[in-house]
Amino acid sequence: MSRLEIYSPEGLRLDGRRWNELRRFESSINTHPHASDGSSYLEQGNNKIITLVKGPKEPTSRSQVDTNKALLRISVNITQFSKFERSKSSHRNERRVLEMQTALVRTFEKNVMLNLYPRTLIDIEIHVLQQDGGIMGSLLNGITLALIDAGIAMYDYISGISVGLYDTTPLLDVNSLEETAMSSVTLGVVGKSEKLSLLLVEDKIPLDRMETVLAIGIAGAHRIRDLMDEELRSHAEKRVANASSR
Amino acid sequence: MAKEIEISNSESKFLLEALRQNYRLDGRSFSQFRDVKIAFGDEYGDVTIEMGKTKVHCRISCQITQPYEDRPFEGLFLISTENSPMAGPQFENGNNTNEDEVLIARIIEKAVRRSGALDIEGLCIVAGSKCWAVRADVHFLNCDGGFIDASCIAVMAGLLHFRKPDITVHGEQVIMHPVDEREPVPLGILHVPICVTFSFFNPMDTEENIKGDTNAEITIIDATLKEELLRDGVLTVTLNKNREVVQVSKAGGLPMDALSLMECCRKAYAITEEITDKITYVLKKDEKRRNKFADLLTSENARETS
Amino acid sequence: MASAQQQQQMHMILPGDSLPISETDLKSHRLVLGPGLYTDPKTLTIHPVNAGKLYITQNNNSNRINIHIDYESHRYIPHVNDLVIGCIVGTFADSYKVSLNSFSNSVSLSYMAFPNASKKNRPTLKIGDLVYCKVATAVKELEATVECLESGFGLLEDGMIIDSTGLKFVRLLLFDDQFPLLRLLASRTKFEIAIGVNGKIWIKADEIKDTLACYRSILDCSMCQSVDQFANIIKKHFQDLNTVAAATAATEN
Repeated sequence: MSRLEIYSPEGLRLDGRRWNELRRFESSINTHPHASDGSSYLEQGNNKIITLVKGPKEPTSRSQVDTNKALLRISVNITQFSKFERSKSSHRNERRVLEMQTALVRTFEKNVMLNLYPRTLIDIEIHVLQQDGGIMGSLLNGITLALIDAGIAMYDYISGISVGLYDTTPLLDVNSLEETAMSSVTLGVVGKSEKLSLLLVEDKIPLDRMETVLAIGIAGAHRIRDLMDEELRSHAEKRVANASSR
Repeated sequence: MAKEIEISNSESKFLLEALRQNYRLDGRSFSQFRDVKIAFGDEYGDVTIEMGKTKVHCRISCQITQPYEDRPFEGLFLISTENSPMAGPQFENGNNTNEDEVLIARIIEKAVRRSGALDIEGLCIVAGSKCWAVRADVHFLNCDGGFIDASCIAVMAGLLHFRKPDITVHGEQVIMHPVDEREPVPLGILHVPICVTFSFFNPMDTEENIKGDTNAEITIIDATLKEELLRDGVLTVTLNKNREVVQVSKAGGLPMDALSLMECCRKAYAITEEITDKITYVLKKDEKRRNKFADLLTSENARETS
Repeated sequence: MASAQQQQQMHMILPGDSLPISETDLKSHRLVLGPGLYTDPKTLTIHPVNAGKLYITQNNNSNRINIHIDYESHRYIPHVNDLVIGCIVGTFADSYKVSLNSFSNSVSLSYMAFPNASKKNRPTLKIGDLVYCKVATAVKELEATVECLESGFGLLEDGMIIDSTGLKFVRLLLFDDQFPLLRLLASRTKFEIAIGVNGKIWIKADEIKDTLACYRSILDCSMCQSVDQFANIIKKHFQDLNTVAAATAATEN
């Protein structure tokens, strides 16, 4: 493997960003109005994710019924063509994917007001069309958007982001080249607060650097929250305009 | 489907109220780790860990196999953490797709294997054709919470204790010397990761947790089974003595303030140091026990070679 | 408790042993068999089927011998008239589903099995509530039923539940007047207690710390072999909790 310059002395990263810059973030909601009750399409850098929310609906089997709150189920489908090289196996039932699903369910369980929808099932289906690092954060963003589109009550946005640490410099919103070259932290931040719902570190990071990394991550997540908020508001305005012109 | 342990409203109410008043059921303080008992078996790499009523056994074994084609210079290392009904009636045989069990397996995998605690390049014998395959089998013997922490200690203590048979290489030919013929050699351990699990409880309502800034959430270390069943959130931090964060996993659950999570990491470091020292201490003691006749065998009367 | 008129013998007995009673005694007396004994329907011989203490009580006045084996077990099997503590795990149209033991078959508690119950006056128990009840029917082919008809039964509010590892311990606590534990606890604090022979003990004192002290004491005493140490165990737990309470109070001020 050729040695890549992850972070140049001039302060530029592989894709030309500075350390504290996000990737291109584009999102739209209500992309699949017939297939689901709420949907979103998200492009975060080269991550391309479709999220479909179906529900609250009647559970498929009786054993799933919870008389006090809704059941949240998330399934992540990482397509075989999502990476540069086509993967040989489908990723379903891989331990890594199961872990992701569990983490996502447990994150949104505390944020969605499930107690308002007893005896129902909220099914979230995610299709990862293309991935380029920091996938977990993008999944969180996609779900937040789709849940809002579905009109399901929740306390606040959850915005996800990953931050890498290159030597002593934290790099915001890493892509897959950066992710393989250094250790990174994934955060799921609740709204504009400093509360973390999700925090995952998978590689070694010096304990004394953690605080700076978290601080950068929280700032980045707040920025993403604003970007999502902007999209949602402009979408809503369009709809209101349509409704009133009728 | 395996049934679950039923917990009554009285219990959950009582536990939370007790925590609010600064008590834990078993009399520990909030940031007190249970006393860890490490016992070695007769063979190398046979460890039993006891933390309160939690009991975990780990056995390390090795054999010579072929390395993966895409990694000819690396040996194989596998950690198997299979739950069996031996640990408690809530576990089922052969069904390891339960959410919690997947999380346990993944965290130990990340903490020990992915972090490179074992030097797998040192397991290579003949590049591309022969290497050692080291296997750690973790058995849960009794469940009273803290499986992740206990199994991580068990695997690491096992790896440190284990000796693989000595070998001689002649070109492609490998001779493995039985343990009674030649002193076996220890594995290359690069660092000792230790997992510390924190459990979070929310004494207020959900709104206060998400919107408020009182940060009144209660954090306790090393929960017992009952506390695990009732907790609102969990964080597992893995650190080593070099002040490196090896792995952090807070997979959802109660949202927590970033600063209090940092505080947890710092508390975990103190515990990591303590447990690492404990492992080194028991290893030394075991070494002494095994070599108690070493003095007799030294060649004090041997002729001087100079 | 052997009174003058009663003769009581005690033996340790294992399945497969023969009963230490002479043939003539067996023939001449009316036998009452308790738990742990089985009569072969063909030969009419009596076999001990559990390991434990054999109690043979002979009443001199009447022509009767009572035999039973007091054996330790861990999983509770419902028997009629047993006092048990259950946890409500489900609600149906006319009954509650009650669990007496995790991982055991649940039993049912009818809405009608409460004092003053009628079609309109339904009990208001929720899932997760604890109830003190009596086993009404226990046929091994059917789901057992429990009832809360008499006073003293019904919802157990707040407090704390202790799962004892052995059923022998709770029987001692409930039936043996000489068993010192409750009296020792009572000398320390005021508390309410409900003991279910399914191995559950519910306890509630005015303050959390006293309940907790009782909780820890009972749990430790159930593990402890010798009765003489109970006082020390209890003393230790109450002192521990008082020091913690004092320390917490000090930091708050």
